[in-house]
Amino acid sequence: MKRILLAYDGSAAADKACELALDLAQKYGAALKVLAVARPPEFGGEVETEAVLENSRKHYRHVLKPVKERLAASGLVHEVEIASGHPAEHIVMSAEQWGATLIVLGHRGRGLMGRWLVGSVAKQVMSHATCAVLVAR
Amino acid sequence: MTEIWTQAALWLGLALLASLLSIWLRIATALSEIVVGTIAQLLIGAALGGALLAGDASWIKFLAGAGAILLTFLAGAELDPVVFRKQWKQATAIGLVSFIGPFLGCTAIARWALGWSPEASWLAGIAMSTTSVAVVYAVMLEFGLNVTNYGKVVLAACFITDLATVVALGLIFAPFTVRTLIFLGVGAVAFFILPWLVPRFFKRYGGRPSELEAKFLMFILFGMGALATWADSEAVLPAYLLGMVLAGTVGKDHALIRRLRTLTFGFLTPFYFIRAGSLVSLPALVAAPAAFVVLLAGKMLTKIAGVYPVTRAYGSPKQEGMYTTLLMSTGLTFGTISALFGLSHQIVDQAQYSALVAAVIGSAVVPTLIANAFFLPRHLLSEGEKS
Repeated sequence: MKRILLAYDGSAAADKACELALDLAQKYGAALKVLAVARPPEFGGEVETEAVLENSRKHYRHVLKPVKERLAASGLVHEVEIASGHPAEHIVMSAEQWGATLIVLGHRGRGLMGRWLVGSVAKQVMSHATCAVLVAR
Repeated sequence: MTEIWTQAALWLGLALLASLLSIWLRIATALSEIVVGTIAQLLIGAALGGALLAGDASWIKFLAGAGAILLTFLAGAELDPVVFRKQWKQATAIGLVSFIGPFLGCTAIARWALGWSPEASWLAGIAMSTTSVAVVYAVMLEFGLNVTNYGKVVLAACFITDLATVVALGLIFAPFTVRTLIFLGVGAVAFFILPWLVPRFFKRYGGRPSELEAKFLMFILFGMGALATWADSEAVLPAYLLGMVLAGTVGKDHALIRRLRTLTFGFLTPFYFIRAGSLVSLPALVAAPAAFVVLLAGKMLTKIAGVYPVTRAYGSPKQEGMYTTLLMSTGLTFGTISALFGLSHQIVDQAQYSALVAAVIGSAVVPTLIANAFFLPRHLLSEGEKS
């Protein structure tokens, strides 16, 4: 296990995934990449889309701050990225491009409506990833 | 005043509901506001009488109009003037192709396939010609294309398409008189002076709690809007142009833009989009759905015919090119503005307006659904599946 990609969105499930990823990275001496994806509205409108992305990036900069501090203190080889777009696709694409051997992410456990409307990011990542996927619950 | 406060509470309650829906469904607030407006009018109209929403009250019309003006200004202010200056020839060519194809195509469809009057057909052409810069911007950002030559040209082209739309809306239906000349003359002077004046004025007097910047911009926007309507043109035309010419100054002041967005989205545009939705007649739409389907298909096909070859000419892979093209077929804001202009100037009737708004909503949803289902995921995931 050389490279672990942690998909992080600041949720409680993502925090659990973060603990798991840090633990695994330390045990295996793996490099860790933390990826957060700012998601635009599914059907966007003028001005608002830019505002949503800007707001989302600001939110991720804020929630990633303690994660960055923990990574810096851990001495692990790491990088942190905030991308824009569809989370599942970016997670899979980033894992492939970076050569990740494991993707770690949290399952937010959306309600029935949420799953029906937007699907589960974890489910989509598991369907399309070409490396191992670990889902924290 | 009780009546006004009650109506205000009702409208802002609907706006709140629309915001919650847009969060739950991850869609643009404008889209959910139009739909909420349509359904609210139908339900409230059936239960308590059509007059309760009072969409024709002058104070609601003012707030709605101010929302459209400020939103259009903010949309214009998102232009990157440095990129535009570098790439204006290609951007203008692509932007005009993206405008002219759907404009002429949908005008012809409305005139000869739907039998609309010449004026209503021109308006349909304008409403269907728009492109949502915001949606294309999000796609470019997602692909990382916003920093490439291709991405910058396409984004700048979207501004040209929307500029052509507002120019067409502002001038086609306006009688060319001395008033038009005065409007154009004052506009030209303002567009020349303001990029020089505004940064200096804001530097000297801005940055205070009195929010002088917002007052100054609204003074200019409402003044130019008054001049435009006095010349029988449309207030969003100078607003969009002012946004574009001030993009290099006001557009770069992120704090000011954020405050204007708060005012616009928090208070003004809900009145615009809910009102636009409330004027849609669902019974008329259900009775004659063909117009909506034909207009939507016409827009998508003419956009594809015009834009797809250009994306290929720039060396964009087939799927990425089609994805960009489909996303350039979206156009919620200016499409709605055009349709409402037509209804308020009696260019289209309520059934035609309903078909236009439905087609505009369809153009915000259907191309995105097709693009995401058939183009984006496969394109992004194919490399991984191969390895």
